[in-house]
Amino acid sequence: MVNHLWLKSRFWFDSLSKSQGLNNRHLIEYQQTLTQQFMRNIYDADLMAIDLEMTGLDPLKDQIISIGLVPINHGSIPLAKAKHLMISIDGSVGQSAAVHGIVDHQLQNALPIEAAMAWLLEQTKGRILVAHHAPMDMAFIQKSLDNVFGQRLLLPFIDTLMIEKTRYLRQHGQLIEGCVRLGQSRERYHLPIYAGHNALIDAIACAELFLAQVSALGGLKQIKCHELVGLSK
Amino acid sequence: MNASELQPIEQFLQSHAPFDVLSPALIARCAREINIGYYPKASAFVEFDPINPKLYLVRSGAFEVRDPQGVLVDRVAEGECFGFSTLLSGEKVVNKVAILEDGLVYHIPQPLFTELRTQNRPFDTFFTRAFAQRLRNEHKFKAKDLTTTSRITNLMSHKPISIEVNASIQQAARLMRDNRVSSVLVLHQQQLVGILTDRDLRNRVLAEGLDGDVCVEKVMTKQPQTVASNALVFEAMLLMSEHNIHHLPVVDNQQAKGMVTSTDILRSQSSQPLLLIGEIDRQASIEKLIHVSKQIPVLLQNLISADARAEEIGRVLTSVTDALTRRLIVLNQQLLGKAPMAFCWLAFGSQGRQDQVACSDQDNGLLLAHEADEFAAAYFDKLTHAVCKGLDQCGYIYCPGDIMAQNPLWRLSLQHWQQKFKKWVLSPEPKALMHASIFFDMRAVYGPQTLFDELQDSVMSHTKDNDIFLAGMAGNSLQQTPPLGFFRKFVLERDGSEVKGMDLKHKGSALINDIARVYALSAGIKEVNTAKRIRALMDANIMNRKDALNLADAHEFIAHMRLANQGYQATNNLIVSNYLKPQDLSSLLRHQLRDAFKVVHDAQSGLKLKFTRSF
Repeated sequence: MVNHLWLKSRFWFDSLSKSQGLNNRHLIEYQQTLTQQFMRNIYDADLMAIDLEMTGLDPLKDQIISIGLVPINHGSIPLAKAKHLMISIDGSVGQSAAVHGIVDHQLQNALPIEAAMAWLLEQTKGRILVAHHAPMDMAFIQKSLDNVFGQRLLLPFIDTLMIEKTRYLRQHGQLIEGCVRLGQSRERYHLPIYAGHNALIDAIACAELFLAQVSALGGLKQIKCHELVGLSK
Repeated sequence: MNASELQPIEQFLQSHAPFDVLSPALIARCAREINIGYYPKASAFVEFDPINPKLYLVRSGAFEVRDPQGVLVDRVAEGECFGFSTLLSGEKVVNKVAILEDGLVYHIPQPLFTELRTQNRPFDTFFTRAFAQRLRNEHKFKAKDLTTTSRITNLMSHKPISIEVNASIQQAARLMRDNRVSSVLVLHQQQLVGILTDRDLRNRVLAEGLDGDVCVEKVMTKQPQTVASNALVFEAMLLMSEHNIHHLPVVDNQQAKGMVTSTDILRSQSSQPLLLIGEIDRQASIEKLIHVSKQIPVLLQNLISADARAEEIGRVLTSVTDALTRRLIVLNQQLLGKAPMAFCWLAFGSQGRQDQVACSDQDNGLLLAHEADEFAAAYFDKLTHAVCKGLDQCGYIYCPGDIMAQNPLWRLSLQHWQQKFKKWVLSPEPKALMHASIFFDMRAVYGPQTLFDELQDSVMSHTKDNDIFLAGMAGNSLQQTPPLGFFRKFVLERDGSEVKGMDLKHKGSALINDIARVYALSAGIKEVNTAKRIRALMDANIMNRKDALNLADAHEFIAHMRLANQGYQATNNLIVSNYLKPQDLSSLLRHQLRDAFKVVHDAQSGLKLKFTRSF
């Protein structure tokens, strides 16, 4: 409950201080709709699992190549509403192509980053983002928002890696190298191993992990959003 | 979104029946319309949405479908579906689906399911067949007509009339008149101590000129024969005809539950196996007995075509063998004179386990109450040769390994048998272990149960918790594995260029028998029937409930497939064998058989871990 009040006041102060700065009405609205979710339980909340593929790990230098999105609603994951977007980048995909299986020519029918960020805000409006190792994805999103709209947004998110870390530490006392990676975490819940590796499959994998985690924590209807939410700016 | 982006999901669909028959385009559509749900074990049951029924395809986890009465209808694991009954019948969901293991489930919405069925014929057939199979499963539990496979509980009187042991016989007679029954149970402190029947009142009261105030205890039949409520009707009939009685109290866990009379059974119709056993018991010469035994293969065919459970077919056929053996012993004793001492006729192997099927050979021995002198030795030599020869002529061929009562090696006194078992247990060499797998499944077919119990008790005292012996037995049984290769493909045996198929006996049923035996010996469980052993292991918490139920189901399923296959071979004039060719099976049966073998495989791993790790 404390977290809930704290979250709300953060958003309130943010919109006050930004009332001059945050001139884009769409951005204010985007931010405001999110606060409604905090008091909802996970079953009723509107959530969106997200995964980004990047050219590297540094938000200042590297770029987003693709975005995978899949909603989580009422304890299920509707693949019909899953989205996979490619983003055109400056230069070449380079080394990360080996990991993601994306080659430059695939990016030819991709959107430029400006359109991609507008698309992302439209797709995720009113939904709290869920990601594995979310701070990394959030950093890339914030940087891109800054580049495109000239400002960052106060964004709530849920990090499945952090949930897993807490749980693992409580059970085992200390972390082992790699033990909270997406694949390893999924194994602990007996979730299947997915061979494919792209932003969409990883977003689905993250969504499944999230449902398993919340069930293990006490149930989708028992856990409230604000208990799991972190903030990014 | 382009199709290949959901590759892991499409791959999963492609590798599981019946989705494997869909075109790549339909697979892609299907993947795109799936809703993924997560079902934690903690929520116990799957909640169904009555407005939007859907097909549930299990991606991971395990589920159990039970009807409203709680009877198990189906067990569903990775790659299998539930929810199709509602989609096909349009009726609302009545079955409950229990979550056994946390599961990820792909929901396929009804419109898509209907479209896939109309677009693809084999896909449609798969589900209509699975639906029919399930209906048949449900129906099976309701079948009452077949005396051989229906149970006492179906026809017993559930509110037995009973009287206290110190009541007068007049009170008893009034009670019987008022309730219009021909017998009462006599209880003392809620425990069954006797039975009083019309016949007792006539023979022991009226004929003896006793008064009506004589105590019931004086004239009742003490410690009567009883039957368990889950026994086969047919077993009750056997007891009645053996002991020439018409009333059997039904007792579960020492509590009197009811009564079953010969009239009850007559009403439920007599059927062929009973007629056959009745006929066996009536034959006065060995030649006529041999003639009657010609009907046994016909009986087997009838049971198979009536789709009786494999376990029950085994029990029925073994009962016929038992009756035949007993009749041969009695007839030969009439020729040879009364035996010089008490003895038990021991049945080993499949007859011991009560899972005999077609083309069984003899595995038997003789247990003598004490050491035989010259006269006794000669007597039993003649008797056993005559009985074994009779069995051979009746179609139970001589044992190729010479494990027969006519072999002096297996015709021993109690003391010698005890020594023999002790030697096998204490020095488990390969030969001893091979013997053990036959001899430890033993049962007395004829003779005093007390004598047999004495032998079995001493055997159990040696095997129980004997780690070295159990490790040897476990190791021995792990030499054969179920015919499953990588990626769950069947491994077929070949004879030159000809594919023989899979050996359902030696690579299936026998492995389960071995597993159950090792566990039973380790725990001192006296049951020898594999299904009963597994149940006893579950009740004693030695095997966990899920594993035990799975193993019992796999045992039944493999045995059923073997019998059905042999029935098919016999009616088509093929050589009857234990080999099954998977291409003769429907995809659903193939799928289930694969699962059954997987259960055997897992149970073997469990056995290995439990008994062999420290050696």
